[in-house]
Amino acid sequence: MASYGDEEHCQDYLFKIVLIGDSAVGKSNLLARFARNEFYPNSKSTIGVEFQTQKMNIDGKEIKAQIWDTAGQERFRAVTSAYYRGAVGALVVYDISRRQTFDSIGRWLNELHTHSDMNVVTILVGNKTDLTDAREVTTDEGKTLAEAQGLFFMETSALDSSNVKAAFETVVKEIYSILTRKVRLSQEHKKHEVASLGNGKTVIIHGDTGETDGGSRSWCCA
Amino acid sequence: MDPWSAFLDSEGRVMDPDALRKRIFYGGVEYDLRKEVWKFLLGYHACDSTYAEREYLSSVKKSEYEILKSQWQSISPAQAKRFTKFRERKGLIEKDVVRTDRSISFYDGDDNPNVALLHDILLTYSFYNFDLGYCQGMSDLLSPILFVMGDESESFWCFVELMEHLGPNFNRDQSGMHSQLFALSKLVEILDCPLHNYLRQADCLNYFFCFRWILIQFKREFEYEKVMRLWEVLWTRYLSEHLHLYVCVAILKRYRKKIMGEQMDFDTLLKFINELSGRINLDDTLRDAEALCICAGENGAACIPPGTPPSLPIETGLLCSQQEQDEI
Repeated sequence: MASYGDEEHCQDYLFKIVLIGDSAVGKSNLLARFARNEFYPNSKSTIGVEFQTQKMNIDGKEIKAQIWDTAGQERFRAVTSAYYRGAVGALVVYDISRRQTFDSIGRWLNELHTHSDMNVVTILVGNKTDLTDAREVTTDEGKTLAEAQGLFFMETSALDSSNVKAAFETVVKEIYSILTRKVRLSQEHKKHEVASLGNGKTVIIHGDTGETDGGSRSWCCA
Repeated sequence: MDPWSAFLDSEGRVMDPDALRKRIFYGGVEYDLRKEVWKFLLGYHACDSTYAEREYLSSVKKSEYEILKSQWQSISPAQAKRFTKFRERKGLIEKDVVRTDRSISFYDGDDNPNVALLHDILLTYSFYNFDLGYCQGMSDLLSPILFVMGDESESFWCFVELMEHLGPNFNRDQSGMHSQLFALSKLVEILDCPLHNYLRQADCLNYFFCFRWILIQFKREFEYEKVMRLWEVLWTRYLSEHLHLYVCVAILKRYRKKIMGEQMDFDTLLKFINELSGRINLDDTLRDAEALCICAGENGAACIPPGTPPSLPIETGLLCSQQEQDEI
C-alpha cells in the first residue's frame, strides 16, 4: 500500500481487531457494550464468527474498527483461526471469576501468533469485574502476565460498562500511533517499506498472509 | 380418526412410511402430534414397531438413561477435583444452557427446571459419547427436542439419534463441516453457475459464511416454531438426505442479485449472511429448495461425497481418538 504518502487524503482507516478467549468470558457482550452500549445477560453462544464495525475518532481522524467476535470453544479453532488473518489488533479476554479461563491465555496467545502477524497490538482483558465476590484472578496476576508477555492490560465489566470503551480505544490508538509514525518515517526517509519502529513494535501493513495486492483488508485508505 | 392414526394399523405400526414422509414433507406435523411423530422421524421408534413394543422400549430406555445419568451424578467432589475433563465439560454445559433459548417461555425465568434438564441431558450425553463430548451448538440442537418431548429420557434418546447423523459436524478436525461446505460449493456450481463464478473470483468458495446455517441446521436463522417445521421436513429425508444443502442454495439464490450486484467481498458477505437471521421466509425457501433438488437430480446427489452428514459416517475401522488433544 504505497499511498500513505498522502496522509491528508486518507480519511478512512479500517483496523481489523479480533476478540478471543475461552467460552463465556464475555467476548460478545464486550462488543455489544462497545458498539451499541447494550448488554444481554442471556446472550447466545457465538457459533462461528461475527463482526461489527465501529467508528471512532482519534486525533480528529475517523477510524473504523472492524471487530471480529469468535466462538470460544477449542473445537472450533480450526475454523475461527482463519479469521485472524489480517488482524492488526487483538483483545485476549478471560473471566476474572474463573481461573481456568486465565490459565488458557497462553494458548490463546500462541494461537494468535500462529495465525497472524507476531506484532498484532494486543491487550489482555480481565472481564466481569462486577463479580467482586467471585473473583479468582487478582488484578496483579493479570498485570504481571501482561507485562511478561508485553501486552497492554485492563480489567473491564461489560455489565456495568467499566473500562470497555477504554480497552478498545487503547488498542485502536496504539495501532493508529504506530501507523502514523510509520507514515512519518516513510515520508522522512522516502522509503516505501519500513518495517521496524521504535518501541520494539513492528507493523506489516498487509498483515503477513501473503496478500500481494494493495487492497489489503486490514488497513484501508479510502 | 385424526390424520396421524390413519397412518397406523390396529397394533400401531406405520403402514406406509413413505406416504407418511411425503405428508410431513409437504404439510409438517401438527404441534400436538410432534411428540409421537418425531420419534419415528429421528429413528428412535421403528416404523414397524407396535404400540406395545414402543411402550416396552420406552421403559427399557428409561432405565438405561438413569444408569448413564448416575455415572456422572455419582462423581464426588473429591473425584471431580481429579477429573479435569469432567469439570470442564460440566462448566461449559452450565455456561451454555443458561444462554439457550431463554426468550422462549419454556426456558425463561430464574431456576427454570427445563434449563436444568438441558444440562442433565447434555452432560449425560457427554458420558454416553465420551469421545465426542460436549460442543457448543449441541444445546441449540437439543432445545427444540426437549421442548417437544417434555420427557427427559425420551429427549435424550431422540437427541442420541439426531447426533448419530450430526455428530460429525462437531468433530475436532471439522471434517463433517468441510465435506458439507464442499458439497455446497459443488451444488451451487451446477445450480447457479454465475453465482459460483462470482464467489470464486471473490475468493469465497470456502463457504465459511454458511457455517452456522449448517452446524446447527438453521436453528439461529428462523423463529422457534419455524425451526421445528424445517427440521421435521429435513428429517423425512424425502427427496434427499441433504435437503439442508439445497436450502442453503435456495437462500443464496434468493439474494444472488444483491450479493453480486453489490460486489460483496468475503467480509461483507459474512456479515450479510449473519444478518439475514430472522428475515428469511421459510415457506418460499422450502419450495425453492425442493425445486432445486428435483432440478439437480442425480447430478446433485453426485456432488455430495459419501458419508457427508447427515448421512451416517462411513465405517473406516479407525474409530478414532480424534478428541485426544481436545481440552473438552
